[in-house]
Amino acid sequence: MTTQFQASNKGVPRQGGTFIRRNLLIAAPLIPLIAYLAIFFFWPMLVVLLESFKNNNKEWSLINFTTIIRNPYNLAFRNSITLGLISALTASIPGAIFAYVIELRGSPKLKKIIASLSGVLANTGGVPLAFMFIAAFGAQGSAIVLLKHLGIDLYSGGFSLFSFSGIVVVYMYFQIPLMVIVFSPAVHGVRREWRDAAKNLGATPLKFWRAIALPLLFPSFAASFLLLFASGFAAYATARAMTVGNIALVPLVIGTLVDGNVQINQANVGKSLAIGMVVISALAMVPYLMIQKRARKWQQ
Amino acid sequence: MAAIIKRKSITLPVALALAGLLVFLPFGSATEFSFRSFSDDGKMHHSLSPYRWILAQPEFLSHLLLSFKLAAFAVLITLLLMVPTVAWLHLKAQSWRPLIEILTILPLVIPVVALSIGAQAAFPSWLQSSEYELSFMYVILSMPFSFRILDIGMQAIPLKTITEAARGLGANWPKVIIYVIAPVISGAVAGAFFLTFALSLGEFTLTSLLHWDTFPTWVTSVSQQNIIGAIALSVFSLAAAFALLLTIGFFTSRARKQSEEAE
Repeated sequence: MTTQFQASNKGVPRQGGTFIRRNLLIAAPLIPLIAYLAIFFFWPMLVVLLESFKNNNKEWSLINFTTIIRNPYNLAFRNSITLGLISALTASIPGAIFAYVIELRGSPKLKKIIASLSGVLANTGGVPLAFMFIAAFGAQGSAIVLLKHLGIDLYSGGFSLFSFSGIVVVYMYFQIPLMVIVFSPAVHGVRREWRDAAKNLGATPLKFWRAIALPLLFPSFAASFLLLFASGFAAYATARAMTVGNIALVPLVIGTLVDGNVQINQANVGKSLAIGMVVISALAMVPYLMIQKRARKWQQ
Repeated sequence: MAAIIKRKSITLPVALALAGLLVFLPFGSATEFSFRSFSDDGKMHHSLSPYRWILAQPEFLSHLLLSFKLAAFAVLITLLLMVPTVAWLHLKAQSWRPLIEILTILPLVIPVVALSIGAQAAFPSWLQSSEYELSFMYVILSMPFSFRILDIGMQAIPLKTITEAARGLGANWPKVIIYVIAPVISGAVAGAFFLTFALSLGEFTLTSLLHWDTFPTWVTSVSQQNIIGAIALSVFSLAAAFALLLTIGFFTSRARKQSEEAE
């Protein structure tokens, strides 16, 4: 069947083509995409990697990496990792519960609306989101003013939107929708029939959760957590719009280095910071993608 | 039994009300804030003047148009690059699909900040002096999503069978592409189109780190002189993004329906 089809095709040689030659001819139309990725993705990343190992005299050196494990860069990494972990923790649990409730009880139409809404908030959050929070919870914000009328002065309690906890709150607004998007397929995969089957076989709801639902959902939950960590760890736009340089986060530090505030002996420190980010992000994203790929098999 | 029914009827509304409140709080506040203006004696009232202020800024239209232009160019490249490639993967080159799948997901693994550093260090100056540099990079940033949308869309359709049928009936390749392949994958293509467009319009990190000024980065610079104006712009852009992504939802669900019907 396949050979018949290929024989009728002009693009494949009718006679004599060895297996390798035919395979290469089949791959030829993929060259534009691979070339595009090579130019605009792999090449820039390769340059960053190589130059991060060069000192100011363009000699091979580890100086940039010994610089970034010390302060202030060390602190920035610790802050960013903490922010990634806390924002993943505070978003993954409510996000998972919400996804579960919607999947279990929601109508198909509601699920679609929630999916679209989550898409907007997770993808386009960034800068508009930061300004919306300033409008709501800034010193003159609507919610703050409203609460003051009710006798609650949030700012007297030491709250500030422009602090670490303020950033965590704002991040939840794109992290929870992101959790809903990535975790819903997993909840959807826990078939209603399995629940009924377990019930008919005499399982209590607790037993069902312990023996069936949790083992099924845990890998997806862990994977989603990793994705949220990577997302919170690397987020730039929201943090940039919200902080005035008072919190050291790796993406912001890289931003100021790029903006030209470079000390003369540190020309390539930004590149080693970028490589550090890639390593940490990959540590989370690679397991995420691998678990997702496995999970997709039973979710379909 | 009655207890179960009661519980069933209450968890969903509670969850929705809570989520609705949490989403509405900043959005509603920002909307209220965006109408604030101050008279000469310092008293606050609400009026349309922040929005009038936006329209009076010559940068508003120029930056919006620039963002649209760059997004449109990114969409064009994405479609020209991705649609034939993914179609070919499904028609003939299935053995290459795992490799391309891994390659196209990688931009999701690398933080945008790191890629920006790379672009700045690697690209020649003639490329970095053209704003279209951004479009080329937006294509990379949206590739994990555009590839997956097209891949899933084409997986659902027996592309190979219908192409073979058309070829067997004597259609040449251009005819097959225009009359057979294009109509059945239109939903997936529309999904990739809108996703790339929305992502490009809202892109901030790469744009700002490469020192370009598009609509989102302009909003940030506005905030330094007129915070109410920046908030009004945010309300405007989030509402626009919502409309755009609803359109994506519409097209992708239509594509899913199409592919279900095809099966």
